[in-house]
Amino acid sequence: MSHSPIGQDTPQVNARAKVLGRALYAGDIQLPGLLHGKVLRSPYPSARIAAIHTARALAMPGVRAVVTGADAPRAGWGVSHKDRHILAQDVVRFAGEEVAAVAAETEEQARDALECIQVEYEELPAILSPQEALDEEAPALHGGADNVSHRIRFHRGDVDAAMASAHLVHEATYRTHAQYPGYLEPMGTVASIDPEGRLHVWTSTQSVFLARARLAAALQLPVSRIRVTAPAVGGGFGGKIIEDANTLVAALLALKAQAPVRLVNNRLEDFLAACSSLPEEITLKLGMSREGLVVAKDVRILADCGAYSGLCAEIMHVSAMRSDNMHRLHNVRCDATLVYTNNPPHGAFRGFGGTQMLFALNSHLDTMARSLGLDTLDVHRRNAIDRGETSVHGWQIGSTGLQECLDQCTQALDWHTARKRLPDRGTRRRGIGIGAAMHVSGNRTIGNWDGSTVLVKVNEDGRAVVHCAEGDMGQGAMTVLAQIVAHELTIPIEHVHVAPPDTDVSPFCIGSLASRVTIVSGNAAIVAARAARQTLLDAAAALLGVEPAALELAAGGVQVKGEPARRRMLAEVVRHHIWRHGGQGVQVSGTWDAKTEMFDAKTLMGNIAPAYSFAAQAVEVEVDTETGRVDVLRSFVADDCGKALNPMAVHGQSNGAAAQAIGWTLYEQLHLDGGRLANGNFADYTMPTIDSLPELCSGIVESDEPNGPYGAKGASETAILPGPAAIANAVFDAVGVRITELPITPEKVLAALQAQALEGRRDE
Amino acid sequence: MNDFDFVEPASIAEASRIGGDLGDEARFIAGGTALMLALRQRMLTPTHLVSLARLAPLRGIELDAQGALRIGALTLHAEVAASDVVRRHAPMLAAMAGQVANPQVRNQGTLGGNLCYADPATDPPTCLLALDARVRLASHRGTRELALVDFIVDYYTTAIEPDELVQEILVPPLPTDATGHYARHLRTAAEHRPMASTAVLVQRRGDICTDARVVVGAAAPVPRRLARAEQALIGQRITADCVAEAASLAAAEITPLDDLRGSADYRRQVVRVQTERTLSGLFGLPVR
Repeated sequence: MSHSPIGQDTPQVNARAKVLGRALYAGDIQLPGLLHGKVLRSPYPSARIAAIHTARALAMPGVRAVVTGADAPRAGWGVSHKDRHILAQDVVRFAGEEVAAVAAETEEQARDALECIQVEYEELPAILSPQEALDEEAPALHGGADNVSHRIRFHRGDVDAAMASAHLVHEATYRTHAQYPGYLEPMGTVASIDPEGRLHVWTSTQSVFLARARLAAALQLPVSRIRVTAPAVGGGFGGKIIEDANTLVAALLALKAQAPVRLVNNRLEDFLAACSSLPEEITLKLGMSREGLVVAKDVRILADCGAYSGLCAEIMHVSAMRSDNMHRLHNVRCDATLVYTNNPPHGAFRGFGGTQMLFALNSHLDTMARSLGLDTLDVHRRNAIDRGETSVHGWQIGSTGLQECLDQCTQALDWHTARKRLPDRGTRRRGIGIGAAMHVSGNRTIGNWDGSTVLVKVNEDGRAVVHCAEGDMGQGAMTVLAQIVAHELTIPIEHVHVAPPDTDVSPFCIGSLASRVTIVSGNAAIVAARAARQTLLDAAAALLGVEPAALELAAGGVQVKGEPARRRMLAEVVRHHIWRHGGQGVQVSGTWDAKTEMFDAKTLMGNIAPAYSFAAQAVEVEVDTETGRVDVLRSFVADDCGKALNPMAVHGQSNGAAAQAIGWTLYEQLHLDGGRLANGNFADYTMPTIDSLPELCSGIVESDEPNGPYGAKGASETAILPGPAAIANAVFDAVGVRITELPITPEKVLAALQAQALEGRRDE
Repeated sequence: MNDFDFVEPASIAEASRIGGDLGDEARFIAGGTALMLALRQRMLTPTHLVSLARLAPLRGIELDAQGALRIGALTLHAEVAASDVVRRHAPMLAAMAGQVANPQVRNQGTLGGNLCYADPATDPPTCLLALDARVRLASHRGTRELALVDFIVDYYTTAIEPDELVQEILVPPLPTDATGHYARHLRTAAEHRPMASTAVLVQRRGDICTDARVVVGAAAPVPRRLARAEQALIGQRITADCVAEAASLAAAEITPLDDLRGSADYRRQVVRVQTERTLSGLFGLPVR
């Protein structure tokens, strides 16, 4: 008897290969005649390239190709704006920008050759802050009138009138910083030219089809002349969607050398090349009733995309709009501006703009609740949108477990008792804080399609192969697809193989972003597996001499309902389906497209996602009032994922998200010195390690999403969103200082405490 | 990294001659935890790596006839931490070694290599200074002993000659009534390197502090004993005020580093707090 894996703790189907060291990552791909690439980067944040001399490099031992901007098509690449080239053309706009690249027989030869490329730069003044970028005198980085890359404005209801009627109005400015994705596997690609002259690329990507489209656009090749295969991917966190330059440079080198080229970032190169998350300055003004209801929300955002815009317009869109939908709001206004600077480019990161705004909003709600003498927890509860409601932006909430998330968090930390605790008087003081969050599961705004197609083949041994190109960067896409197909076909999960994404073989798909894989491809997998089941029932009907409707699948076979003894194993049924006149293998595809709306271009209204996920987190911190150091003592994050198809994976992802949130809030900071990264290594850019985290605890809330596969929606990306403000709120609870600029460094805490002491003395 | 020849001399004299002949072209390698990073980034491009692994005189931990602790330069931090002899005769040294960096470094990095690197953001030099440690340097010309304070010259600079290597670290016997403690402050829990460290060794008779060594490291280019802080303790009645005064003097006496790991002002603040807490703990005063 097989046992359904749905809802069961299921180890990742690719975990064994990874822990045994057998998984093949892009950098592991070996091909005959493989060359090694290296990239020369700009040392200047802003400069004109007067000349590049490559002859000496080309003459170096082992060197097979040297490419510069002149070797690439003039076409640009990008998302909203095609503002970037594979290698810099005429100007460099950030320190670290790819200027030239070498392919040589060994990596050391390539590195030696880089040192022989002479670039004549004429340094230009650099714009290093959004404020400088908006200066009327500032030169425009990409030509045009100014440095504004994107702007979002909306006004619903009447914010001014509602503010005037509010019992309490509070305004504050919050600043969030950039976070490096810090995946285990730095970005890597092997690009080769196949015998037919097609470009074949193995790359560490969250989306092979987006990678193919980008290669086609940047290299001016038909998509069908390109094949992209995803090997094992060692983490992405958004950084491997469509903003890396590595894939494109590798492909350009391979085309130039007409030979396979391996280009793998070392960690320093990855720090320089990867897009870090989008820094935003958020000025938030809320009006509240005496009871803590938000009656008006007024937001201004100034975001710095760096030298190229990538996905930043879409990210800022999320910051501007998403958090409005978790509350029952009527009066909202936003003016958000994205500007170009000569800082390294920013981009997609787990949470995709939600993290920034929810730091501001959750901090703000805590401040205002305290002003009103309310428990922040109650303010979250009173404002929370409910199932069946439509939000101010037209989002239809099919399910929400936010209240239960708050229940779990407060129970785990014994919130009500902790709130009544007398304040600590010593130098080490403890405090508690909470934050709440919402996120999408899927997003129509990627294009006017938010579907997925899954192809299921049932082999003549009764086992299945699944083709689906939604990338598995460690989050468990392959595992959830295997679980669903195993469940629908009543076969053991070990009998399901999920093939790696391959644009030549897999059905078209969008990829792993916007927490869309479980809900979208999960539904598609159900459609495909049920179609396969019908095919099997039809075939078995002839064998058993009954109508298909009289049959059912059970325990890896087809049997007559009510007569389990009359059955045929799937292997026999599949063989029968092939070996007959007009026969064929069992291969069916299923597509599921969310019944959602692309938002209206003018009004920005529209139900963009098939489901919305929620989360909450509560933490306890200890603040050392003499050193300013903040330590997280306890953390509980609750994730509303509709239904946990794989609780083990949900807990793992939720706690990983909590760790990354703690890192962003307390430990990690990219230091730029005159636009140059000063700490591109793990000794000086300190990500959380096992000894800098508390025991991370998590809970699951199952709100049973009507659009979800078995009730599931996107899990655990939401879990990165509530933590940062929960920590800031806990710091306030402990010592009474409000840190509005991330990260919360010891120096900032100490300075705030000193200012507080000074104020206290002045008051006396 | 560039190609290099890897040589494994069997004697100190042989290793020393290679070092002397090749100068900067040769690098001695013990644990390699710092050196390998520099090689991979091509910050150093030696033609020869000279492994010290076969040099038996650089190994072992023992007490000599005078009761001094002798620790071979190739001893791993983890071995110092686990050594019964070290735990008995210099417990603060064993405790310190158990906190260096992270488990990977402690099980690969050596005490001698750590001292030769002279990285300010590390633990052993501060602790060893408070223990009045000396280093024995060996070469084909013979050996010489230097007080650690004279060995560590500056930021990443030691008094070692190109043909010399650290053979062993010598810790003289402690006065029987001395108690000591080593404390390190990490700017955040995710750091593995201290931004300030304080090592204190004190003796007391009743309420009176009769002797004190106060060393601060990591916050400054090189660790140093702080004479004014020590003088504020020696001969004084032990009180919270006395300790606070010594801590303030310690903070004032250092020439702090000012970098990404901490500003000069912040480092002074941490030194003051850490020194006060360390002294209070040793004297049995309530630690605020």
